[in-house]
Amino acid sequence: MRERERGRVRRIRSLLPVVLVFGLAVGPNASTTAAQVEDQEPSVVTCNTCHGDPDFLIGKGSPDRQAALLVPDSALSDTVHKEVACADCHPGPAMGYPHGPLAALSCGTCHESEQTDWEVSVHALNVVESGDAPTRVGCHGTHEVYSIDDRRSPTYPLNVATLCGRCHADPSIIGTYFSAPEEAQARVAVEQYHQTVHGVALEEAGLVISATCNDCHQSHRVLPAESPESSVNRVNVVETCGVCHVGVLETYEEGSAHGEAYRAHLRTPTGYEAPACVDCHSAHRIVEADEPKWFLGVVEECGKCHQDVYETYFSTYHGQVTQLGFELTAKCSDCHTPHNMRPASDPESTVHPLNLVATCAKCHPAANQNFVRYYAHGDTRDRERYPVLFWSWLFMTTLLVSVWSFFGLHSVLWLVRLAVERVRGGSAGHGT
Amino acid sequence: MARRLASSDRGAGPYVWRFSRLERSLHAMVIVSFFGLVITGTPLLYSHMPWARAMIRLVGGFQAAGLIHRICAVITFGYFFIHVGHLTYRIAKSTDKKRFFWGPDSMVAGPKDFQDIREMFKWFFGKGPRPRFDRFNYMDKLDYWGEFWGVAVIGGSGLVLWFPVFFSKILPGWIFNVATIIHGIEALLATGIIFTIHFFNVNLRPEKFPVDVVMFTGRATLDYMKEEHPLQYERLAREGRIEDMIAPPPSRAAYLWSVSLGLIGLSLGILLIGLIIWALIQGGWR
Repeated sequence: MRERERGRVRRIRSLLPVVLVFGLAVGPNASTTAAQVEDQEPSVVTCNTCHGDPDFLIGKGSPDRQAALLVPDSALSDTVHKEVACADCHPGPAMGYPHGPLAALSCGTCHESEQTDWEVSVHALNVVESGDAPTRVGCHGTHEVYSIDDRRSPTYPLNVATLCGRCHADPSIIGTYFSAPEEAQARVAVEQYHQTVHGVALEEAGLVISATCNDCHQSHRVLPAESPESSVNRVNVVETCGVCHVGVLETYEEGSAHGEAYRAHLRTPTGYEAPACVDCHSAHRIVEADEPKWFLGVVEECGKCHQDVYETYFSTYHGQVTQLGFELTAKCSDCHTPHNMRPASDPESTVHPLNLVATCAKCHPAANQNFVRYYAHGDTRDRERYPVLFWSWLFMTTLLVSVWSFFGLHSVLWLVRLAVERVRGGSAGHGT
Repeated sequence: MARRLASSDRGAGPYVWRFSRLERSLHAMVIVSFFGLVITGTPLLYSHMPWARAMIRLVGGFQAAGLIHRICAVITFGYFFIHVGHLTYRIAKSTDKKRFFWGPDSMVAGPKDFQDIREMFKWFFGKGPRPRFDRFNYMDKLDYWGEFWGVAVIGGSGLVLWFPVFFSKILPGWIFNVATIIHGIEALLATGIIFTIHFFNVNLRPEKFPVDVVMFTGRATLDYMKEEHPLQYERLAREGRIEDMIAPPPSRAAYLWSVSLGLIGLSLGILLIGLIIWALIQGGWR
């Protein structure tokens, strides 16, 4: 991409003499090369003559307007556009002085694919429909356009969340655009981003390769997640995350039950699609690894589809301690792996009978063949698969219910009898 | 002096001994360890309840709870074996073995206990007089044998869960599932019996309301014995042994401590039962 841009800049520079011949305003740095100086005719008035002179601009509008019109050559001298001529962005018939308002910007002249992408984005749509979504200058600035690698650029990774937050964290704006109840997530997205692993890595650890808004949502082709074209739509999101999480993508795609089902577009009988990254990790929800909310959330996510094993998990010590809000005991991913989950029949599965000792030994170093015959998802109600659990449960429950009911009844009858005797005026009659 | 709060102080008569210092100490160990076990164990059974999370945090997290649970288990095994040891010593020392096992001071359930249950139910329905008890009635014996059974079953399954590495050398892993089921349900049975039936029998029924501290002070009034254990009173009076059993009244401090701790224990137990009932209503039986 950057190579392509450099190519374009070179092309523009070669066009400059032509521009000058036609007497158009020259680029701010046009006088920097000997060749251009030679081409410049003395009678030509450069843009800088007026737009570089604050005194000249006095009376040409409000003070703000005057400030906006003041664009000396030096304003662009250290931007990426230092070699771009004024007329490249401000084309049209405005020659000489005085001239009227200049035609609309055309970034697309050089940045073709970006322009095309932006034009189909939800932002472009809103510009047309409501006129208040960000245009190109809204994100990149007007004359102070810097490379995305430049710390000063609003599109530098460390600045992107602030840039997007200008609108997406402004209650008056998101309240208008994302007012529907189902858009609640969009209203808090930027706010929550700061607390996600991505946000923390970027903002606290200063790790500029960590994902920020545009890494997942794209820079120009920003589409609503419902759109199948969107980079964050279910059908594309695995690829999107995989751009950075290459190793995880490989594991997920090469034989994990989820990856296979995802590729085959399988759905559960209850209508859930095969889980993609965001189903377990969520995109913007608060991710604090020491908060029970987080790891319980993952278990909840698994439980949406794996209902039976979800319920039986909570009847084990593992599940009970997890549910009480502690991290230490095994969660789904501790036994089944986070991304390489495979059916127990798969010899490569961590829960295949041959691999169980190694899997359990991660937490229980003394695990042996006997130990791993523990039912991690034993179900007392399943008489077929777990008869020993069913009968133990039934015996104990019968014992509890019969003993407690017998003596409970005994106590109640005792009370009733004493009440009856009191009503009849008899004595409670100790030993009479 | 008007009747005081504790039902073991009813009437004016002199005090007589009922429980020895050792028996009271063992019962105190039961109280402390049992509350410890219930408070640290119940949250696991009802981990879906908000109170379970609060309770486990209160004791310092699940690992601290596990440690307290094991300490209380050791106390439990401690009083169990002290009692069994002392019992063995007393059996060996006793000259009248028949009276030791089947006499009025024995906890062994005899034909009279079963007859008492029958008569009690007849009395409930107004079809006969209320049965009269000797020193230990069938409810006392239920508590006693319930403790034996409970310590054996809960303690045994608890040891399996405490030492999984050892037990997995000789038993298949699903024994831990079975031990979890047995441990949990039997613990619930113990909790249910102690915090409702035992509390009702020894404290809350109208004759004893609100609290009976004979197990703390070791002594109760003669009037208490006449009403609660009439056969014992008559037997001792007949044998002229009442005089031997007269005890000095408990000191004011001992009495106040006993009533306070008794009421605190009662409230705590009832609170715990309330939480369990809440959990069962909300989560069902599983």
